[in-house]
Amino acid sequence: MEMNQPSRFDAIVVGAGPAGATAALKLAEKGYKVLLLERGRGAGSKQVFGGRVYAELLRRVFGDLKDAPIHRWVKREALMLADGDRLVAVAYWTANSTSFTTYLGQLTSWIVERAVNAGAVFVDEVRVDRLLVRDGRVVGIEAGPDRVEADVVIDAEGVNRLLLERLGLVAKPKPAHVALGVKEVIRLSEKAVTERFGLEDGEGLAWVIVGSVTDYLPGGAFVYTNKDSVSVGLVLHLDAAVRGLRAHVHELVERLRLHPLLRRYWGDGDVVEYSAHLTIESPEFIPKSLVHDGLIVVGDAAGLLLSTGLTVRGVDYAVFSGFLAAEAVDCARKEGGFTRDVLSACYEQPLRRSAVYRDIVRRKRASKLMKDERLFRDAVRFAVKAASTIYELGEETPKLAEALEEAERAARLSKLSLALMLIRLVRGL
Amino acid sequence: MSRREAGPRRLRLEELLQRNVYDVDHRPHIVVDTSKCSRCDAKPCVRLCPAGCYTVVDGRLVFSYEGCLECGTCRVVCPLGAVKWDYPLSGRGVYYRFS
Repeated sequence: MEMNQPSRFDAIVVGAGPAGATAALKLAEKGYKVLLLERGRGAGSKQVFGGRVYAELLRRVFGDLKDAPIHRWVKREALMLADGDRLVAVAYWTANSTSFTTYLGQLTSWIVERAVNAGAVFVDEVRVDRLLVRDGRVVGIEAGPDRVEADVVIDAEGVNRLLLERLGLVAKPKPAHVALGVKEVIRLSEKAVTERFGLEDGEGLAWVIVGSVTDYLPGGAFVYTNKDSVSVGLVLHLDAAVRGLRAHVHELVERLRLHPLLRRYWGDGDVVEYSAHLTIESPEFIPKSLVHDGLIVVGDAAGLLLSTGLTVRGVDYAVFSGFLAAEAVDCARKEGGFTRDVLSACYEQPLRRSAVYRDIVRRKRASKLMKDERLFRDAVRFAVKAASTIYELGEETPKLAEALEEAERAARLSKLSLALMLIRLVRGL
Repeated sequence: MSRREAGPRRLRLEELLQRNVYDVDHRPHIVVDTSKCSRCDAKPCVRLCPAGCYTVVDGRLVFSYEGCLECGTCRVVCPLGAVKWDYPLSGRGVYYRFS
């Protein structure tokens, strides 16, 4: 760690992910002396996400995204219910895209570069071990033998909140609050991605697949098309996986890559990376307080991720919270200091009033629903059985009602429980 | 003689990990108190660590940190608190390029 920088900063940001890098950029733009610390080698080297970013909040924070590392604009979505070698797909096609695919490491490198150009000091290969506390307030950070102080520390350490845990501000997450995401990035030519998925140049797609791809466990598989690769992976809710996972998790990912109905898209491609990351599955992951004396918590560390079952968004929320944190530093300086009360008024209250935060919290019911193991087994079996009865015809052509009845029997679902599940699903989502 | 159709082949975990770039530190960033593991029947770490860092050899849990993907799953699922978990120092560990 090079410490021949000024030993005192206005702000220290821990973690150069999308939240931390945005906070550093916006603080540097406002003229603050800001130190951005990253444990990885270079920006972005420890970053993993599913595969897509919603653009609206990024435009608001960064302006137009002309020079951003965008791979493809997602214009085709699908939800697939898979039961072995049959699946039901519900597709959505549009000419109007609100999200893009990229590699998260590329996106954060892009933000960090802008932060450095704006005057932020970026130091990588530094693992922060502790937040420095004096008289009950956070006054800086400790990394190995080094100590650096600042008026305010922005904690963007991500989903594994070792620093907040060591301070006693949050508890270790419960398995029910997080999910494991594992993915393979499969290299294809740009042309192959475009043609095989029925896309045009620059167009991308996002698939969510539930059912047998996770052994019917809560969670799901995902597919995102990048410029010249495909990200294929799955998410497993840890509480259900601890109880119900029979195979090793990598076997599930490999089974997905080699799925008889799906491997035609990418089976001949080279697996160039195998990555994993925890993702947030419950609003209960959000800390009781998002600020303390001298401290602001942003991004995954603040629990700002929303997984609805059909969509996942976290990167834009991280950027948004980093932006709000920088605004809050400005606000707190004018309001007379970085006390918990002032930071609460300048950061926590505006965040909690935002649509982002309210959307996360009001999905509490959906996040419980997503843990309903019947949803992932019985409902998928029902839909696939109904479809196969309707489409796989011999001599007889069953009526729709007969197909549904047969599917109810096959999935061992009563009409009532099916109706209740549907109602809960619609309400929850 | 029947020959299997040529096509994509299932990759073993070691092969998947070999696709990654690592700069492995000689200092382990995770320490497991394996004396606790004999009391644990479920051993969720064995199936859930995506890098297969936890294996059972002759009935005993064996931990190796070298292939770690730094996700934090073992820390969350270990029911006995046997995992002392941290990130690697000095930029070591896994180096993601396409994730």
